[in-house]
Amino acid sequence: MTALLLTTAVAAPLISLVALAAAAWLHRRVGESLVTAVVVGTFGVSCAAVAVLGARLATGTPGGGPDIGRWWPVGSDPLPLVADGASAPFALTVGTLVLLVALFSRRYLHRDPGYLRFHLLLTGFGLGALVVALAGSLALAVVGWEIAGTTSVLLIGYFSERRGPVESALHVFTVYRVADLGLLTAVVYWHHVTPDGPRSVTDATVLGAALLWAAMGKGALLPWCGWLPRAMEGPTPSSAICYGAVSVSLAPYLLLRSSPAWAESAAVGWAIVAVGAATAVHATVVGRAQTDVKSALAYASLTQIALVTCEVGLGWHRLALAHLIGHAILRGAQLLRAPSRLHDHQVHERALGRPAPPARNRAHRLLPARTQLWAYRYALHRGDLDARWERLLDHAGAGLRSLDRLDERWRRLLVSRPAGLARPVRGAGR
Amino acid sequence: MTPFDATSLDHQPGATTELIDHVARLLPQQAPLHAFVHHNTLHAFEHLPFTVAVETAGRQFGAEPYLPEAAYHRLRADGRITPADLAAVATGSGAPGADLRHGGADYVLRRLALDLDLPAGPALSWTLHETDALTRLHPQVDAVRRRHLLASGAERDLLTDLWARLRAVPVPTDPPTPRPARPRDRILEATGHDPDRLTHPLLIRFTAAYLDQGIAHWAMPGRDAGMLAAFHNLYGASRPVEPFLRDLPALVIDHTTAGRQAVDVVEWALDALGVLPGQRAAVIEATLLSLRGWAGMVHHLHRRPDRAPVSAPPARLTDYLAIQLTLDTLAARHITRQTLGPGATPADTDLLLAHHDRDDLGLRYEAFVLAQLMPVDVTALADPGVAARWLRTVAGCPELTRRRLLHLAYERRHAVTVLDALSAHQPDVGPPRAPAPAQVVFCIDEREESVRRHLEELSPAVETFGYAGFFGVPMTYQGLDDVRPRPLCPVVIQPRHIVREVADVQASDWWARRRAMGSWRFDVGSRTLARGAAASLVGGPLHLAPLLGRTLFPRAYHRWERRATGRQRPTTGRLALEFDHDEGWVGPQPGFTVAEMADIVAAFLRTTGLAGRLGPLVVVIGHGSASSNNPHEAAHDCGATGGGRGGPNARAFAAMANHPQVRRELAARGLPIPATTWFLGGYHNTCDDGLAYYDEELVPAASREAVARVRTDLAAACAHSAQERCRRFADTPDHPTPEAALRHVERHTVDLGQPRPEYGHATNAVAVVGRRWRTRGLFLDRRAFLISYDPTTDADGTVLTGLLMAVGPVCAGINLEYYFSHVDPTGYGCGTKLPHNISGLLGVMDGQASDLRTGLPWQMVEIHEPVRLLLVCEAEPRQLASILDAQPDLRRLVVNGWIRLVAWSPTDNRMCQWRDDGFVAYRPESTRLDRVTRSADAYVGRRDPINPVQVIAGVAR
Repeated sequence: MTALLLTTAVAAPLISLVALAAAAWLHRRVGESLVTAVVVGTFGVSCAAVAVLGARLATGTPGGGPDIGRWWPVGSDPLPLVADGASAPFALTVGTLVLLVALFSRRYLHRDPGYLRFHLLLTGFGLGALVVALAGSLALAVVGWEIAGTTSVLLIGYFSERRGPVESALHVFTVYRVADLGLLTAVVYWHHVTPDGPRSVTDATVLGAALLWAAMGKGALLPWCGWLPRAMEGPTPSSAICYGAVSVSLAPYLLLRSSPAWAESAAVGWAIVAVGAATAVHATVVGRAQTDVKSALAYASLTQIALVTCEVGLGWHRLALAHLIGHAILRGAQLLRAPSRLHDHQVHERALGRPAPPARNRAHRLLPARTQLWAYRYALHRGDLDARWERLLDHAGAGLRSLDRLDERWRRLLVSRPAGLARPVRGAGR
Repeated sequence: MTPFDATSLDHQPGATTELIDHVARLLPQQAPLHAFVHHNTLHAFEHLPFTVAVETAGRQFGAEPYLPEAAYHRLRADGRITPADLAAVATGSGAPGADLRHGGADYVLRRLALDLDLPAGPALSWTLHETDALTRLHPQVDAVRRRHLLASGAERDLLTDLWARLRAVPVPTDPPTPRPARPRDRILEATGHDPDRLTHPLLIRFTAAYLDQGIAHWAMPGRDAGMLAAFHNLYGASRPVEPFLRDLPALVIDHTTAGRQAVDVVEWALDALGVLPGQRAAVIEATLLSLRGWAGMVHHLHRRPDRAPVSAPPARLTDYLAIQLTLDTLAARHITRQTLGPGATPADTDLLLAHHDRDDLGLRYEAFVLAQLMPVDVTALADPGVAARWLRTVAGCPELTRRRLLHLAYERRHAVTVLDALSAHQPDVGPPRAPAPAQVVFCIDEREESVRRHLEELSPAVETFGYAGFFGVPMTYQGLDDVRPRPLCPVVIQPRHIVREVADVQASDWWARRRAMGSWRFDVGSRTLARGAAASLVGGPLHLAPLLGRTLFPRAYHRWERRATGRQRPTTGRLALEFDHDEGWVGPQPGFTVAEMADIVAAFLRTTGLAGRLGPLVVVIGHGSASSNNPHEAAHDCGATGGGRGGPNARAFAAMANHPQVRRELAARGLPIPATTWFLGGYHNTCDDGLAYYDEELVPAASREAVARVRTDLAAACAHSAQERCRRFADTPDHPTPEAALRHVERHTVDLGQPRPEYGHATNAVAVVGRRWRTRGLFLDRRAFLISYDPTTDADGTVLTGLLMAVGPVCAGINLEYYFSHVDPTGYGCGTKLPHNISGLLGVMDGQASDLRTGLPWQMVEIHEPVRLLLVCEAEPRQLASILDAQPDLRRLVVNGWIRLVAWSPTDNRMCQWRDDGFVAYRPESTRLDRVTRSADAYVGRRDPINPVQVIAGVAR
């Protein structure tokens, strides 16, 4: 029964994804209401299946341990999906939010030429996130991780006719790829070196470091914070589901689920806390100076994700899970009503009975004047993380180009050598 | 804008400020979004004829002047452009010519009727090299022509010959396009590196932070010193990471130690960029237009600081330009250094420019295809002279010309349809005989056309009138809830009077205020570190239920929420309307004197023709629109109140007309208001079609019954109007009942996920100034502004002059803004709403860092039909011509064709259209007019635009 419910929760979005993708591939005209019916029905089924699983867990039905952290069942389980005290609530949150966003988008994207494409990608994203949530093995989690990553990048580049969204999508894609190296390292190491689970502190440290590396990219933790506001290029509902609520939450969730693997290593725990704390401070400082609604919400989101990461590092798993779920719902709702900000401002002024003061938060006044200026610049420029990243890429590119030039020089040297000449002249081909 | 010779200023020292002021006129004039007012997007080009203006502006802004050619061909297929229209515009476009090869009207006519999708650029090159386009007849060649062509030889030989001949002769050459003046464009052209990609992100971030009205918790330090000073303060001691900004701190120190003002910095940067003296105007223009939304907002807040949502920082366009040019200089130097090595100057990049020939293959290929498709003697093209002439003919009707002509044909068909219907309607109508039991006055807005029509159908005794929605009350208004007063009158009027609502019964709204403050604090706190954590843990799960409710059942949830939180406004107030001080009041006058109120009411009575015909009840209804999750909410409000909600104006007007002293004063002026007549103010929400009335407790007992009756009638009319509106929303069922339609539009209003709460002014196309009985009973599809005017009481035309001066620019502004946002949704409009992101409470960006997007979103204009306003005016042409002569602003709009003016004789059915420089008699094409019993018969089950038909139930008898 548990296996059936688990399979249903993941198979429903998979079937819809294939069906919608086939329709898009064959250029079939699919009516908006049919598309919405498929997506809403799919995630309705998934949510129901996970909810039943959760209920069975709560009443103590055998089939899934209610304790957090058993993510590495070793054996010959053909479908390593698990429902337990962590995966069931998280999967239910993911499913519900995707369902709500699909319902929201049925009117929001009405008449948009990309209606089918959006819902196709949304289904793919939901599938990926559900797989990560319910995965019972790291290898399966990687599959979900990649599906969610790819679809969310395509949602950032939804408006492909403009340059900005495509550049941002490419930027996020690059970060994801770099971060995925960590996940692949973890899978390979797990598979080849410690197939029976970490045996030593070294194993735990290597696995933990690799997983942290992966989580840093996905969760926009330092030093990758720059991409999160840039991801706000897609339609508002996709920004809400991916970057307000679910996508960034996958990072601390990965660390939470994999904690048995790295728990042995105190260094990893402290590294996670350090990254989380540094990101939380960075994000809250930067967020204060952001002047557009979506960037402000992106940094607000990041602040809390970083805090959850800290909690995971400290081993406060239940708190982290509650925090993660509460935050996903709150931020998703806030991003969906981001266009109300002007209206909210007027309501607020009416309640105040006078014009709103321009800036209310005065924490930065504690700093000395010169530092204030520096800190403001830091906040306004988001710590210049993007610029540094681009400079790094430039340097890498320059390195590659110099190798290419070297190669070209040797090629010319070899090709242009006159037949009568026994030895190449020094510097020929310059 | 007066014609202005910018180049003459270039050589004068100290003319830079003047140059900047000149360019500023080209920037978008849009106010911050909460104060949205419709205006002509190309206001700065009104001194030019319409077609010249849109094409010039199109080149300058990189925007489209008309719809794409394919769109006109679709309209042609739908019968919205007929062959007769094409013939009419083709005849006007050139000399008649019998031989196609000589061009002329015959060629133009055939070319316009040809829906041909020709490849260009790389697609053309692919077609020529990779397909059999040069050896097989074009697929659109019909069978007859094919037989005719192939009679003389084999297909391949024929076409190969033809192509060779057309390749051999020289083509007419246009003067080469001059190189762009802006250094950025030259560098991009020469190196492929775009300096704007370096500078814009920083410029957007800085400008947004400088102008921010309260989204950031942390305001930029040192804003009060001015924009350039704030920039210098921020970056003077910085160590930028971006390579191109390496020299910025040194440069800032250089500027400040040299004591350079903003203008000096601009001049310094122009010199540093190597701009030649004669090109300064062009460079400044192109530079400011490259990020025109932000530049326009800086300029707007400088000119109108009162429109800032909170408070405008001291921004000046010169400061902004100084910053932009400083960054441009740095970027140009950086790219030059990178591509040409250290020591190179931006001007040196011209050396990299490859010289390439003008590509004329497109024209030759077009001539090649057209020679196959049109009845041209292909063999005669063997003569190089004939071939050259054929190429000249084809070159003479390029795409832009065809689109212009197709557009004129489209507008012609629209005018013919409307004018013929107006004319054919006249035999069936006549003036009302007795004063109506209820006279209802609406705004002239075309959205009220359907409400008026349904009201007249449902209660034939009622009479309706259209009067500009500020009802002649030019005031600044502050309601009980309002934090600051705002003007409620057309933007061209500077109100001298301020009217406040004062509490009548002070009820405690302590709880409502606490709630609002609480939710605000929660919102702000949830974005911080510690409070955000608490908010997520506790408040997060609590957000699920509202989110579910709002998404699944928006209307039910909204109603429940309103019930649960109690009434929105527990306090009732009255207007502090009357002012009885002596002379010598300084500053805005609080309220109106009796004489001023009498003037306002008298103007109304004279203009509408209600003088002497007043019935027992006059209802005055202002309008506005409320919608949720919509940054462009204010764009749906009333244009006549300057983008505000016209309820208070209706209320103030009714109070004035009920005022006993005002009535005495009016009686003394010969405009008595019967003692039995009562004026009632009301408010129509055009989004959910809800109605509200003001000061009902003041209604005398004798009028109560009449008020109750007219309220019922109006509610029914609004429900029917909602049904009519619903046909344009594609998400409604095909045949909703009026009640279901009302529920549907209510849901549109409160739904968070609804990007098109209403369609606003979309499809507006006509304005009729005249007596309502002449148009009553005509189904105008919510496309016509209806302005009541009685020509019989206005022999000298003073009333008409005032009316045209007020409504002409307002209606034209609305009409033209919709025109431009529709023909180029991304160039003139602000694109689709889906990625919009509110920045600084001022406007919206696309995504996270774009230009501030001005104009209307696509979801507002998608069903619009872009035609210029057809202003039909019940007056003799002679009188209209003399009004135009006396009013240069109005004349400019009419003579330059921004409005299509028609004079409609008040005594008979003659019509005269304004053509170029005078009125020309209009001869109807048809006298046929379809008839239906009720409006619903005309629109139920239809989603497309509907031509005027006669509604028998509504005709005045």
